[in-house]
Amino acid sequence: MKLNIRIDGHAGQGPNALAKVLGSVLAKQGYYVFISRDYGSYIRGGHNANVLTLSDSQIMSNDLEADIAIFLEKNIEIKEPRKLKDNCRIIDSAVEKNMYFAGRLVKMLGLDFRILENELKKLKNFDVNLRDAKKGYADAKTEFALRSLKNKLEFMDGGVGIAEGAIASGLDVYFAYPMTPATSVMGELAERQLENNHIVIELEGEIAAINAAIGSAITGAKAMTGSSGGGFDLMTEALSFIGQAEVPLVIYLAQRVGPGTGAATYTEQADLNLALNAGHGEFPRIVLAPGDPLECQELTSQAFYFSQKYRVPALILSDKHLAESLYTIKNKPVITKSQKCISLKRFNSYNHDESGTAADNAPAIAKSAESRIKKAEEIKKEARKFKPFKLYGKSGSKNLVLFWGSTKGAVLDACKDIDVKALQILYMEPFPEEIKSELLKAKNLLIVENNSTSQLAQLIASKTCIHINKENKILKYNGRPFLTDELRMEIEKRIR
Amino acid sequence: MPDISTNAKPTWCPGCFNFQILAGVKNALSRKISTHNAKKEDFALVSGIGCHAKIFDYINLNGVNTLHGRVLPTCLGIKVGNPNLEVIGFSGDGDAYAEGMEHLIHAARYNADIKYIVHNNQVFALTVGQPTPTTELGYKDKTNPLGVKLMPINPIKMMLNAGASFVARVFADAKQVEWVLEEALEHKGFAFIEVIQPCIIFHPDIGVKEKTYMLQENRHFKENLGDALKKAEEFDYNTINKIPLGIFYQKERETFEEKWPQLKSLIGRKASWKDIKR
Repeated sequence: MKLNIRIDGHAGQGPNALAKVLGSVLAKQGYYVFISRDYGSYIRGGHNANVLTLSDSQIMSNDLEADIAIFLEKNIEIKEPRKLKDNCRIIDSAVEKNMYFAGRLVKMLGLDFRILENELKKLKNFDVNLRDAKKGYADAKTEFALRSLKNKLEFMDGGVGIAEGAIASGLDVYFAYPMTPATSVMGELAERQLENNHIVIELEGEIAAINAAIGSAITGAKAMTGSSGGGFDLMTEALSFIGQAEVPLVIYLAQRVGPGTGAATYTEQADLNLALNAGHGEFPRIVLAPGDPLECQELTSQAFYFSQKYRVPALILSDKHLAESLYTIKNKPVITKSQKCISLKRFNSYNHDESGTAADNAPAIAKSAESRIKKAEEIKKEARKFKPFKLYGKSGSKNLVLFWGSTKGAVLDACKDIDVKALQILYMEPFPEEIKSELLKAKNLLIVENNSTSQLAQLIASKTCIHINKENKILKYNGRPFLTDELRMEIEKRIR
Repeated sequence: MPDISTNAKPTWCPGCFNFQILAGVKNALSRKISTHNAKKEDFALVSGIGCHAKIFDYINLNGVNTLHGRVLPTCLGIKVGNPNLEVIGFSGDGDAYAEGMEHLIHAARYNADIKYIVHNNQVFALTVGQPTPTTELGYKDKTNPLGVKLMPINPIKMMLNAGASFVARVFADAKQVEWVLEEALEHKGFAFIEVIQPCIIFHPDIGVKEKTYMLQENRHFKENLGDALKKAEEFDYNTINKIPLGIFYQKERETFEEKWPQLKSLIGRKASWKDIKR
């Protein structure tokens, strides 16, 4: 059982709030929900689309076609390739407010109104919203009798997952400058700062943010910063400085469409090479790529663990699709605990001796380089204890689909019940070279990425000398995430 | 007084005015440690990149030699990490007024309890002699053979307008530096101290020192912003006429770290985030 519900309207009409409320109601009833958001860079007007997919089994992506469409405005046009099913039920109105539709849909799906009422209590303007919702409920007929399921599900987006992970890891200080789509983490952490006793500070720019985070980190605080695209570019000099000064810092990089300002509110996985290579000089780093909010929590805690233990920068690579899409999660995250390993002493961006004093004689420079190489080897060894990659699907299949990050939802949903095995890489650095044996076992390698040059394929080739055929690279680079059935067709075309 | 020297041998040019600044800073800090029951661990020093930055290697206190231009955000981060530390930043004029300008303006606005010393030799010395934002008109070097064509900025005026709660200028003389740093250490809030420092190789003293006079010996009321601005205008960093030195302005107001309950609580408990067990 699966339904796709579209919610379209102008920014300002509350399509996001409506989608989130409906998703929460469904998750409370034990349904798996996935909601993606498609919106432009504007505050009022334009066309915002939320697509809510619900199912009685695990799903983490949307299909092409909608079963139900809620239009907060008349004459809404659906952008290709997404469409409405021929028998799609359209609920629209030019006068009613967003929560009216929540009431209607709850009735239509046969859900308990009290759960909706409880969700509305969490929002502003409860009285008005409740009145609207009651009206909608009265105006509708039950068409799908969804019984409640026993699943206990958490409902959150990737950004909240990162924030949860940071809090569970003992975050003390977060410095940032606003930039979509990284800011949702800053917002979540800021809202919870007093209750959890950490601090979130917005500074005059990304350069200030990362350098202040470094300042706090050297006093022994667990520090973090985050940005996207160009904002992260501005941080790269400091990233290299951390490599020299050996400062533990967690950096959240939420990818969006580039190059340049690109498309601020759309998704892309084009900053893998950036995360791996940003900063001049040679120094060890950790680059982790979660694929859903559960992994966001777990990998954030691992980022803190490695950065503290080895005094290295740890990057968490997310993107707009993961950061802003809402997922239901069944399992509890496994949080890796970490100590605060640093005390204030003498740090230096210049090559230095053990006392932190600048040293540029030949042995001192060589010694620093060798200590960084040794550290990278130790990190690589310890990373194997975690899950640097994961396997899914039919274990005996000769078709292997490779992927990373936010494509996880669509890949796993698309691969259900077809003859493929899927391999997700979570540790981009240190890279799990042991996947080579899996790659060699497969007769047919496919790769799925939200970029135009297949950066994971480049990484795999450099680490394993295994190349993936051009025709087996399924790449999407129009700023939109993969859809389940669209991706399934692409995979089916290529399996043997 | 405790010895806060390191074993590192200074690599400044013989006769460099940085030796004067180093001596003044060391005297002020040693005295603070010996007379105020402060510990060496209560201090954090931050330097940027350029000749001034070597000072970090010659004072045996904790801290960081950070990037060019990023001294102030690093200082702020240290203060947020542990608001009980006495944080002192050092920059050159390139560091403070070129690469790091955005941070300087905001540091004055934030008013964190940070002492900031700018070694202003009006030249990029360690990269061998290019002009900075405070170099006078007509100055020539290999990269600017046509001579400097832009008026220098006036950092004192700028800091006063940006809301710095302590604004001072001294000459690179150990006694003056020691005096002004002691005054600044007593000030709660962002203290901006500019040290006019000739560079004996690329920008020697062309009569600056002779034209200086001390504000504090001339009935200057440092609580008055209007008076401070008037005095700041006496020297435009281009034409040498009268050069007032001393504390132009000083007026305490709520500090950055007093505004956040989380940091206020750390101050009250004399703790840092490192001490917070979760």
